[in-house]
Amino acid sequence: MSTALTLTTSHQPDGTPVLTAAGEVDMSNADEFAVALTRAVEAAPGQLTVNLTELQYLDSAGLAVLFPHVERIHLVTSPLLAPVLTIAGLADLMTVTPA
Amino acid sequence: MSSAAERSSTSADVFAGDGEIGHDLGQVAWASTPLGDPSGWPQSLRTAVSILLSSRFPMWMAWGPDLTFFCNAAYRRDTLGRKYPWALGRPASEVWAEIWPDIGPRIDRVLSTGVATWDQALLLFLERSGYREESYHTFSYSPLRDDDNALVGMLCVVSEDTERVVGERRMTTLRDLGSDPSVVRTEEEMLTFAGRQLSRNGLDLPFTAIYLLDDDGSARLATAAGISAGHTAVPRTIAADDPTPVWPVAALVRGESPRVPLDGAPFVGLPTGAWSQPPAQALLVPLLQQGGTPYGFLVAGLNRYRPLDDGYRGFLELAAGHVAAGIASARSYQAQQQRAEQLAEIDRAKTAFFSNISHEFRTPLTLIMGPLEELRSRLGDTDQGVREELQVMHRNGLRLGKLVTALLDFSRIEAGRMQARYEPVDLAAVTADLASVFRSAVERAGLTFEVDCPPLPEPVYIDRGMWEKVVLNLLSNALKFTFDGAIRVRLRAEDGRAVVTVADTGIGVPAEEMPRLFERFHRIDNARSRSNEGSGIGLALVRELVGLQGGDISADSTVGEGTTFTIGLPFGSVHLPPGAVAAAEERDISATAEPFVEEALRWLPHASATSAPDEVVERRVQETTTDAPPNRAHVLVADDNADMREYLTRLLRSAGYRVEAVDDGRAALRSARVNQPDLVVSDVMMPGLDGLQLVAALRAEPRTAGMPVLLLSARAGQEASIEGLEAGADDYLVKPFAAAELLARVRTNVKLARLRNNHARWRTALVDSLQEAFFVCDDSGAVIEINTTFTDILGYGPEGLPYTAKHPWWPSLETEPEAHQQVADALTLLTGQTTGTYTIPVTHRDGHRLWVAAAFNQVQDPDTGRRVIVGTFRDVTAEHYAVQRESALAALSIRLSQADNLADALHGVLAELKGLWRATRVLAAVFDGSHTPTFATTDPHQRWDTLTDQRRQILIAVRDRPLLTTVADQTTGVGIAVEHPHGTMALWIDLGERRPVTEQDETLLALLAGHLGQGLHRVQQIDQQRETALALQRAILGPAQLPSGFAVRYAPATRPLKVGGDWYDTISLVDGQIAIVVGDCVGHGLQAATVMGQLRSACRALLLQDSSPSRTLTALDRFAAQLPGALCATVFCGVLDPTTGRLRYASAGHPPAIVTSPDGTTRMLDQGHSRPLGVRGRAERPEAEELVPPRATLMLYTDGLVERRRQPLTAGIDHVVAVIQNGRAHPIETLATDVMNQLSPPGGYDDDVAVLLYRQPGPLELEFAAERGGLAPVRSALRSWLERCGLDPTKAYNVLVAAGEACANAIEHGHRDNPGGRIHLRATATADGLHVSVTDSGRWKTPRPDVDTHRGRGLVLMRALMDAITVTPGATGTTIEMQARIP
Repeated sequence: MSTALTLTTSHQPDGTPVLTAAGEVDMSNADEFAVALTRAVEAAPGQLTVNLTELQYLDSAGLAVLFPHVERIHLVTSPLLAPVLTIAGLADLMTVTPA
Repeated sequence: MSSAAERSSTSADVFAGDGEIGHDLGQVAWASTPLGDPSGWPQSLRTAVSILLSSRFPMWMAWGPDLTFFCNAAYRRDTLGRKYPWALGRPASEVWAEIWPDIGPRIDRVLSTGVATWDQALLLFLERSGYREESYHTFSYSPLRDDDNALVGMLCVVSEDTERVVGERRMTTLRDLGSDPSVVRTEEEMLTFAGRQLSRNGLDLPFTAIYLLDDDGSARLATAAGISAGHTAVPRTIAADDPTPVWPVAALVRGESPRVPLDGAPFVGLPTGAWSQPPAQALLVPLLQQGGTPYGFLVAGLNRYRPLDDGYRGFLELAAGHVAAGIASARSYQAQQQRAEQLAEIDRAKTAFFSNISHEFRTPLTLIMGPLEELRSRLGDTDQGVREELQVMHRNGLRLGKLVTALLDFSRIEAGRMQARYEPVDLAAVTADLASVFRSAVERAGLTFEVDCPPLPEPVYIDRGMWEKVVLNLLSNALKFTFDGAIRVRLRAEDGRAVVTVADTGIGVPAEEMPRLFERFHRIDNARSRSNEGSGIGLALVRELVGLQGGDISADSTVGEGTTFTIGLPFGSVHLPPGAVAAAEERDISATAEPFVEEALRWLPHASATSAPDEVVERRVQETTTDAPPNRAHVLVADDNADMREYLTRLLRSAGYRVEAVDDGRAALRSARVNQPDLVVSDVMMPGLDGLQLVAALRAEPRTAGMPVLLLSARAGQEASIEGLEAGADDYLVKPFAAAELLARVRTNVKLARLRNNHARWRTALVDSLQEAFFVCDDSGAVIEINTTFTDILGYGPEGLPYTAKHPWWPSLETEPEAHQQVADALTLLTGQTTGTYTIPVTHRDGHRLWVAAAFNQVQDPDTGRRVIVGTFRDVTAEHYAVQRESALAALSIRLSQADNLADALHGVLAELKGLWRATRVLAAVFDGSHTPTFATTDPHQRWDTLTDQRRQILIAVRDRPLLTTVADQTTGVGIAVEHPHGTMALWIDLGERRPVTEQDETLLALLAGHLGQGLHRVQQIDQQRETALALQRAILGPAQLPSGFAVRYAPATRPLKVGGDWYDTISLVDGQIAIVVGDCVGHGLQAATVMGQLRSACRALLLQDSSPSRTLTALDRFAAQLPGALCATVFCGVLDPTTGRLRYASAGHPPAIVTSPDGTTRMLDQGHSRPLGVRGRAERPEAEELVPPRATLMLYTDGLVERRRQPLTAGIDHVVAVIQNGRAHPIETLATDVMNQLSPPGGYDDDVAVLLYRQPGPLELEFAAERGGLAPVRSALRSWLERCGLDPTKAYNVLVAAGEACANAIEHGHRDNPGGRIHLRATATADGLHVSVTDSGRWKTPRPDVDTHRGRGLVLMRALMDAITVTPGATGTTIEMQARIP
């Protein structure tokens, strides 16, 4: 049984591209998340907004996916995930916006 | 019951202690005394009276204002006399009016101070026999108190000492009379001395006078004491023809002993002696002269305060006897003085007389011996008795003949009329022949006899008859004084002479005696010899005879080594008178030899045909044990001459005495100590201990000091008899004596002794009659006196006295050091303390072990003033061993009862046996049929296969003996075969080499082994029962697998069973709910357990059918009604939804369950409560609902946990609540243990206890494959569990991430090289925290941050999100433990 993860690409009203992840990210689907993120970053002309507010679970494998892209992405997160991102040091490297 | 009958019954009770006195007391008109009717007496009086009456010791008591008199039978007998029964119930002052001035103040003092009095030998003048009587009493007055503790009377314990005091006084006078050291004195001096001594006893002898009778029948006053010589009562003379003599002289001349009232004119103004009143009577005692009219008489004024009883009369007769003996002695001394002058003349006449008379003797002797020989040959075969008598006559005839011949020879030599006939003889052959005559006698005496007589170069001229006498005398002499070693006869030719030596290894002659050795009639005193017989002329004759042969004789001797006589005889005949030399003549040894040999044989033991000493003793034993009446006087005869001994025995026995005959002084002393004869008749001259020494030895010992001794001697003369009497002999008789005279003396002495020794005999009889052993020790611990019970118990008799420490009955220091030490300690106690008791082991003379319990007291010997110890003991061997057995059995039983199983029991028993015997070790092998036996021992390092072969063989040998038969080995120990439930058990106790195995050891072991066998079977039965019960318990107690989150405890009250009436149960229901039940049936043990099992099963079945607690209990009511014993069981039944914590419950009379929230608040689940099971009730059983909050603790329990005597149930519940609150942060198992430990009473639970604990939610346990894709469901389960734990979402998410990282790590690291392994996750909650552990079955790699950046990040996350993390790598996997605190 694989971990449920839904990745949706969209645009904000201002045209900024948004990657929305819903479900859970763990070691079983981190690669899937990485592929989708890389693709979205490459497709985005500037900063990519990654919306994690619908994400129920994100472990270190998921964090490892985010790190290479810190300069190109902007994270929107829920209070649930915020402490983990802070502990991982991600919040220091990139813009993390609470939802 | 009428009141009169009641009264008589009551008084009968009071006086029941003694039939006769009680009856007379019952007759007293008590109502008219101040004490009133006995029914109204206080308990204290009743008690005092009953103690008084039941005592065998003389007592009287006085009670109440008038000091009303009571006494017991002993007092009546000893003291009260004619005042009985008049005295009963009268005022004491009336009863004892005559002595009231003496005793009244003493009684007053007791009653005023409450302090007891003590008077010893107090003189009191009693009027109990019709006159004022001098009496002495030792008594104590003790206070008596009534029920209110007020002094109301006194108890007198008294022993009357009159006999003793008066007796001692009289003995003193008699002793004084005999105490004059100057033996030889005139009659006048003697009488003055006697008068002075008599006057010193003014109590018994207020006045005395001694009259002597003159030849004309008139009496002459010799001395007066206590009365002036001029008084009319003691006229200077009383003429024979005086018609009104003051004293009846005529009667006294006839030997009578009249009593004279002192009431005539001559007796006015008599002196009073030591009293205030003059005597009223006088006793006149003749001063008897042996074989003649009395010397005179003694006038003795009588003590008016004592009756003239046998004792008084005997005393006066003895006093008169002393005076008479003194007169006899003085007169005989005077006679001897005169005789001495005649002696010189007599001596001169003696030689001639001897010569004549000896010659004259020979004729009648020949005429006696000739016909006697004739008679012997004619009658010897017909009658044993006749033959024996003839034998005696013959022997003594020979002896007399020998003596006469010797005397005749001597007188001939003196008179120079000895006719010798010298002939040339082969001296070697003649001497050897003579010596051979003595061979059998010498060898029978146990001596070596060496005759070394080689032929001489030429003949020697001798008179053969004379030579025979020389050799026989010397040999006889040698045998007489030689007790071991050899007698040697040697002949040599030396320096032209024949030299004959007769040498012995005997006692030798002291140097100072050597010059007189060959003197005639000289005898060496006190020489140890086979016989004291002898005339003292043997050696003198030898010298004369040798001289007549022209030879010479000399003696050479060393004391203790022997004597050698050397005779030198010249060869040839030139030295001899020519006319006397004759030619040689062939002839045999003459008849001279026979008397010498016969005589010598009589000295030797067992030589007599009829009167061997052992035979005499045997006859005595027969007499004493069979036909002798007990009061026949017992006479001990000691004489070394067998014929005399037999003669005395016959004579005395024919006169009705029991006679024991011994052959020397030592044997006499031994026998006297043991048999306590009434009289000892002893010869003065005996080898070993002579008669005088025997007397001295007897006088030196308390038990024999008073034993009368009659000495016999052939030595006449005053000197000898005085010597005997001085030594302490009671009488003296000179041989030859007439049979009638001997019998008269014996009779008198026995009678006097019985009178005199009454006191001593009474004491001896008393001591001997004690049922306890009695002994007296001196201050060194030496036993100096014992009684017969002592001998009966220990086997050591008075013949061995004194027994000095260490006494022969001490256990051996070598083999029994402990017992030896115990006795040594007891001796220290005995000699160091003034009083005490002890119990010690001792060894009987025959070697067997005894235990005795002794008590002792120090006392002062009244005669010597020395400190002695008087003790008694009794044989407590049986009690000792009984106690030992009882305590050993008890210890064994305890060991057996404490054991849970056979192995336990055996182990305990072996330890007990080891302790009991202080053994080196104890071994047990059970031969149960397997290859090697089951082995047990107290030595933890020992196994069957490490035992020595010897030990294994011993155990096998023990096994092969019959059951319960001990096998003892003196060097190693003792064993026994016991029936063990699994086969025969060989038991062996190693005692060590220095411990002998006693019979008691074996008895005890057999006893214990019997019990052990039974005990082991009982243990096995109990063991089997317990096994059964445990199986049952396992079957019925509760589920083997508890749902997670539960902890249970069960403690039954009844050992060794581990089941009881309480139970717990959990039942997983189909809808995921869990039913929980705790119940309590009435009672304990197996009975309750069976009921419990059925109820539990029923409850379980009902819950599976319908999950409503109240309906389940209702249904259970019906079930319980059918089940005996189930009535009144209490049950708490709940149904828990573990997801939500919702609990529905109902209680049938059960204590409320408790819920403790994480914050410490508690709730009692006391809703839904109703009656116990089976109890009828109209109301339906209620049901309640409760939510068990997250991380709260639910506890169900039975009342055994909280119910305590004398405490309200709520106190127990409060206690348990506190324990749960304190432990709410502990894991549930730990908490369960806390509860059981902390609630346990000091001695353990005394009721069944069941406890069930649950914490919401139960732990989460997950196991999943180590695959990347498997994490999502794990998270899902964990997420929902965390929710049930009541965590806020952030906290829950943090835990979720941390756990996720741990799982990811496990997959990444643990199973990188081994995919498909399993991972285990467990999460538990406590009130204030969570604990998550993740365990994999692989091995972690060393983290490589460069490669595994995100894994390293995972660890960082875990540490940040949780409060504590530990990683424990192991061989089989790695565990991550994580804890999170919940605020």
